[in-house]
Amino acid sequence: MPAVSKGDGMRGLAVFISDIRNCKSKEAEIKRINKELANIRSKFKGDKALDGYSKKKYVCKLLFIFLLGHDIDFGHMEAVNLLSSNKYTEKQIGYLFISVLVNSNSDLIRLINNAIKNDLSSRNPTFMNLALHCIANVGSREMAEAFAAEVPRILVAGDTMDSVKQSAALCLLRLNRTSPDLVPMGEWTARVVHLLNDQHLGVVTAATSLITTLAQKNPDDFKTSVSLAVARLSRIVTSASTDLQDYTYYFVAAPWLSVKLLRLLQCYPPPEDAAIRGRLTECLETILNKAQEPPKSKKVQHSNAKNAVLFEAISLIIHHDSEPTLLVRACNQLGQFLQHRETNLRYLALESMCTLASSEFSHEAVKTHIETVINALKTERDVSVRQRAVDLLYAMCDRSNAKQIVAEMLSYLETADYSIREEIVLKVAILAEKYAVDYTWYVDTILNLIRIAGDYVSEEVWYRVIQIVINRDDVQGYAAKTVFEALQAPACHENLVKVGGYILGEFGNLIAGDPRSSPLIQFNLLHSKFHLCSVPTRALLLSAYIKFINLFPEVKGTIQEVLRSDSQLRNADVELQQRAVEYLRLSCIASTDILATVLEEMPPFPERESSILAKLKKKKGPGTVPDPEDNRKERCANINGATNHSSTTANAKASAPSFIGDLLAPVLPPINRPRPVSSLSLLPTPLTPLSLQAYAMPLSPSAGSHFQVSSPASDLLSLGSASTLNSTPPSAPKASASLLVDVFSDNSPTAPIGAPAVVVADENFSRFVCKNNGVLFENQLLQIGLKSEYRQNLGRMYVFYGNKTSTQFHNFTASVVCQDGLNSQLNVHAKPADPMVEGGAQLQQTLNIECLSDFVEAPVLNIQFRYGGILQNISVKLPVTLNKFFQPTEMGSQDFFQRWKQLGAPQQEVQKIFKAMYSMDSEVTKAKIIGFGVALLDGVDPNPSNFVGAGVIHTKTSQVGCLIRLEPNAQAQMYRLTLRTSRDTVSQRLCDLLSDQF
Amino acid sequence: MMRFLLLFSRQGKLRLQKWFTPLPERERKKIVRDMTTLVLARKPRTCNFLHWKDLKIVYKRYASLYFCCALEEQENELLALEILHRYVELLDKYFGNVCELDIIFNFEKAYFILDEFLMGGEVQETSKQSIANSIEASDMLQETMEEYMSKPAF
Repeated sequence: MPAVSKGDGMRGLAVFISDIRNCKSKEAEIKRINKELANIRSKFKGDKALDGYSKKKYVCKLLFIFLLGHDIDFGHMEAVNLLSSNKYTEKQIGYLFISVLVNSNSDLIRLINNAIKNDLSSRNPTFMNLALHCIANVGSREMAEAFAAEVPRILVAGDTMDSVKQSAALCLLRLNRTSPDLVPMGEWTARVVHLLNDQHLGVVTAATSLITTLAQKNPDDFKTSVSLAVARLSRIVTSASTDLQDYTYYFVAAPWLSVKLLRLLQCYPPPEDAAIRGRLTECLETILNKAQEPPKSKKVQHSNAKNAVLFEAISLIIHHDSEPTLLVRACNQLGQFLQHRETNLRYLALESMCTLASSEFSHEAVKTHIETVINALKTERDVSVRQRAVDLLYAMCDRSNAKQIVAEMLSYLETADYSIREEIVLKVAILAEKYAVDYTWYVDTILNLIRIAGDYVSEEVWYRVIQIVINRDDVQGYAAKTVFEALQAPACHENLVKVGGYILGEFGNLIAGDPRSSPLIQFNLLHSKFHLCSVPTRALLLSAYIKFINLFPEVKGTIQEVLRSDSQLRNADVELQQRAVEYLRLSCIASTDILATVLEEMPPFPERESSILAKLKKKKGPGTVPDPEDNRKERCANINGATNHSSTTANAKASAPSFIGDLLAPVLPPINRPRPVSSLSLLPTPLTPLSLQAYAMPLSPSAGSHFQVSSPASDLLSLGSASTLNSTPPSAPKASASLLVDVFSDNSPTAPIGAPAVVVADENFSRFVCKNNGVLFENQLLQIGLKSEYRQNLGRMYVFYGNKTSTQFHNFTASVVCQDGLNSQLNVHAKPADPMVEGGAQLQQTLNIECLSDFVEAPVLNIQFRYGGILQNISVKLPVTLNKFFQPTEMGSQDFFQRWKQLGAPQQEVQKIFKAMYSMDSEVTKAKIIGFGVALLDGVDPNPSNFVGAGVIHTKTSQVGCLIRLEPNAQAQMYRLTLRTSRDTVSQRLCDLLSDQF
Repeated sequence: MMRFLLLFSRQGKLRLQKWFTPLPERERKKIVRDMTTLVLARKPRTCNFLHWKDLKIVYKRYASLYFCCALEEQENELLALEILHRYVELLDKYFGNVCELDIIFNFEKAYFILDEFLMGGEVQETSKQSIANSIEASDMLQETMEEYMSKPAF
C-alpha cells in the first residue's frame, strides 16, 4: 500500500518542498516562494484551461506555502472547483484546502455549500465523509444554516453506513457547539440516544460524545441515556480483553468509549433506579479492583489507558459524592499514585485529590496524605507537579493542619520557582487569615511572607493585614511590637516599611511605654528607611509622621523640622511636596483638639470578602479557586463557629450560590457602622482638595460642603469592592470639625461623593434592551462601551472607559448603585477600577450581576475622576434589564397555545397598541425579538406576519415563563404587543421594555 | 474536546497544525509560538501535562517530533496521551517506519489520516484496523502511479 500512496505522484510538489528545504536562508526561502506564487498565479490566470491534476498540484503547493506561515490570497476559486471533480484525490485536496484556509465569512461559502450538498446526496460514503468533515472543520454559521437539518437526518437514517454515522454524529456535535440555536432538538434526539446500543463500537464512541454535549445543555431530553450508558459500560468492563477485538487497546477494553460513557454519566446525579445504581456501583468497583491487579503488559500504553479509565471513574465517584466507601477507596487509590514512579500519575493524583478534598466524606481521608504531599513539594523535580502539590495543600487545609501547611508553604516559598511565587503568597495569606485562631500568628505569618518574598506580596496582601489589625484591637499592640522589631533589620523590604509605617502611625502609642521603643526611637527608625523608599511609600510615611505628631506631642518639634527641610518642602515630587506643606501647616495652625479629631485612629473597616481571595480568583481564572471551605459542607461549622473572627468564612458560606460557578461571593452589605468623617487616612492618596489656595479663603462655615478628603481616602483599603453597593452619603461632619471642613473644602462646591450626581444619562439605555454590546455614553472626555453576557440569572458586564483626551484622568472611580428597592432584587458587584486612566487609553472594569427577583429600575453607574484638576461626575443608567435573564424556550404550536391558555388570568396578560417608530421590516423585528432573549417560534401563529416568542426569566428565587405575541399592522403602521407571564409585574415590565423597540 | 493539535520539531519548526475551533491567524501564530517555547523548554522525564491559560496541554516527544495537543478542562489527560500515540501508530502503519520527512513531504496524507481519526476535536474511530481500511480504500480510488508520472512536473 505505501508504494502506491507514498508516491501518489505530485512530483512537482515534492520538488518544490525539496527546494524549500534546501534554502539556506529565510530570504532565499521567501524568494523561492514568491517565484512559485508567481508561477501558480500565471497558470491560474492563463488562457489554457488547467486539467484537474495540475489544479490539484498547484492548490496543494499553495496549501504548503500557507502552512509554512505565508499569506495566501488566491487559489480559493480553484480549490472550490476541485470539489466538484469526480476524481477522489482532487476532491480530497480541494476539501483539505478549504478546511485549512477558508474562514467562515468567505463569499465562497455558497459555492462550497453547493458542492457539499451534492456530495451529501451522492450516497457514496467516502464522498459523504469528506463533505461532513468539511462542515465540521469550517463549522461556520452559514454552513450550520444550510445543513443543520440534513445532518441529523443522515445520522439516524436506517440505511446510513457506520462510518458515515460516525462522521455525522461528530459533525452535528460541532454544529451544536458553534450554533446551538440552529440545531433544534427534534424527533431525532430519541433515536440518537439509542445509538448507545449500536453494534458498531465506533458509532457508539462518536455518538457518546454527541450525547454528552447535548445532555449538558438539555439534561431532561437525554435522561434515558443514563441506563443505556450504564448497561454499555457494564458490558465493556466485564468483557474479556479480547472480546472487543480492535477496540481493545493494549489489553484494555475500549478505553475511549469507557471514558466517554463515564463522562456522560457525570452530566447526571446518581441514578435513582436502585438496579441501575447497583450496576453502576459494580462497574466502578470493578474498575477500582482492576487497578490492583498485576498489569497485563509492561507497555506504558497499557497503564495509561487503564489509568485513564480509572481516573475518569474516580471523577464520576467524586461527582456523585454519595457513596462514602467508593470515595474512600478512590482516595486510597490516589494515595498510592502519589508515590508512583510515573510522574504523570503523581501529577494527576495530586490534581484529582484537590477535588476529593472538597467532599465531606473524603476530606479526612485526603488529609492523611499530608506528609506525602509536603514531601512532593520538597522533592519533585518538575515545577508543574510542585504547583499541583501547592494546590492540594491549599485544598486540604483546615483548622487542624493550617499551621503546618502554612509553615511548609512558607519554607517552600524560599526556593519556589518565580513563576508561582505570587500565587503561593496569596494562598498563604488567605489560609493564614482564614484559619487564624491566634492573630499574633497571622501577623507573624504575613510579616514572614514579606520578608521571604516581599516582591511578590501584592498590595492586596498588605492592605489586608492592615485592615485586620485595625479591626481587631487585641492584636494591635502585638502588631506594633512585631513590626517595630522587624524594621530593625538593616535591609527590609519596602512593603514592610509600608506596613510598619501604617501600623506605627496608628498604634505606635501602644509600645511607646517601653523605653526601647520610645516615640523618638520609633520615628528615627521609620525615618531611617525614608530615603531608600519610593515616592508612594514616602508619602505614606509622611502621613505616619503627622499621625505621630498627634500621638506623641513630644516629637512634634523633630517632625516639624523634618517636614520643614528643603528635601520635603521643595521636593521635586508634587505629591510629597504638597503633603509636607499641608502637614506642616496643619501641625502649626490646628489646635490639639482638632488635631486629635482629624488624626484620630482609623475606624474599623467593614467586613467583606477578602480582597486577596478575589485577587487569587482573578489570577487563576473563574471556577478554579474554591475557597477551601466553601464546598465542604457544614461539617466543620462547630469548629469555625467557635471563634467570632470567621465572619469572612461564614459570609462566604451564606452566599453559597456561586456566581457563574466562580464562587465570587457577592459583596456583603457593609456593617452599618457610621464612619467618622474626620479621620485622615494614611494611605497615599493625593490630597488635592486641600490646596494652598484653601488657606487663603476666609474660614467661614459653608453649609452643605462635605469633608472631601476623607471620603475617597477612607475607602481606599476596601479593594475587594471599590464600590459599596448601597453606599450612603458620608455623614455630616461633627461640629468640632466644622472649622476644618472649611480649611479642606474645595473652592468650587462639588456634589458629595456617593450622592446621585446631577443628571443620570440614559439616552442610549433603550438601545441596549435587545443587544448586549455597544457604546453607552460619550462626551468630549470619556467614552463608555459595554460588552455583556448573561446566563440564567447571572450576568457579566465589561465596561470600557475610553479616555478621549491626551491627558490622564486622576482619582478615577466607577461604582454601581442600586437605588431604592433595587438592591434587594439585583446584586451588582463591581471589581475595582484602576484609579488612573492614561490619555488615549482604555480601562476595563468587570461587573458581576445577579438577578435575585424581578425588577423594574436600573442600576446607576457613577463615575468620578479629575481631569485637569476639575472633578468630573458622570452618572449613567446601566442597561441591566429584566429581559437579559431570559433563556429562550423552543416549543411547538400545540404546546404554545396550551400554555397561552393556562396564563389566561386577566392580570397575567398585558397588552399594548402602539405606533411604529421605525420601519416595519420583518427581518429587523425578528432580530430584535431574538435579541430580547426569547426564542422566536416559527409556524405557531396562524398568521405568518405575526411574531410569537417564548422564554423563561431566570431569577435566583424563581423562574417566570413568558409568552410573547407581536402583531404588526403595516397599513396603520401600528403594532399590537401581547405578553403573558405568570407574574403581573413581569408582564408589565417586559411589555414596557419591548414596546419601545419597534 | 481537543482544541488543537500541533506537531513540531526539536528546532521549533511546525510540521502539522490542526485547529478544532476557528481562531484568527494571528492568534494561531501566537499559540504556536507559546507552545513551542513552553514545551521545548521542558526538561526530559518531566510530566507530560501542563496548565496553560484555561487549557490542559498534553505533549509527547517521538524521535525528533513533538506531538502537542490542548484539551478543555474536563478532558482526560492520560487518554489524550494515547490519542497522540494512536496517531503515531496510524502514521507508522501507513508510511512504514514513519519519520519526520514522511510528514513533511506527504503533509496532506498526514492530514487525511488525522481526519479519519479525529473530528471536531473528538475521537471518531479508535480502531486501527478500521482507519487503515478506510485510508486504503481511498488510496484505491487514486489513479495509478504511472498515470501520474506521465504528467508534467511543473
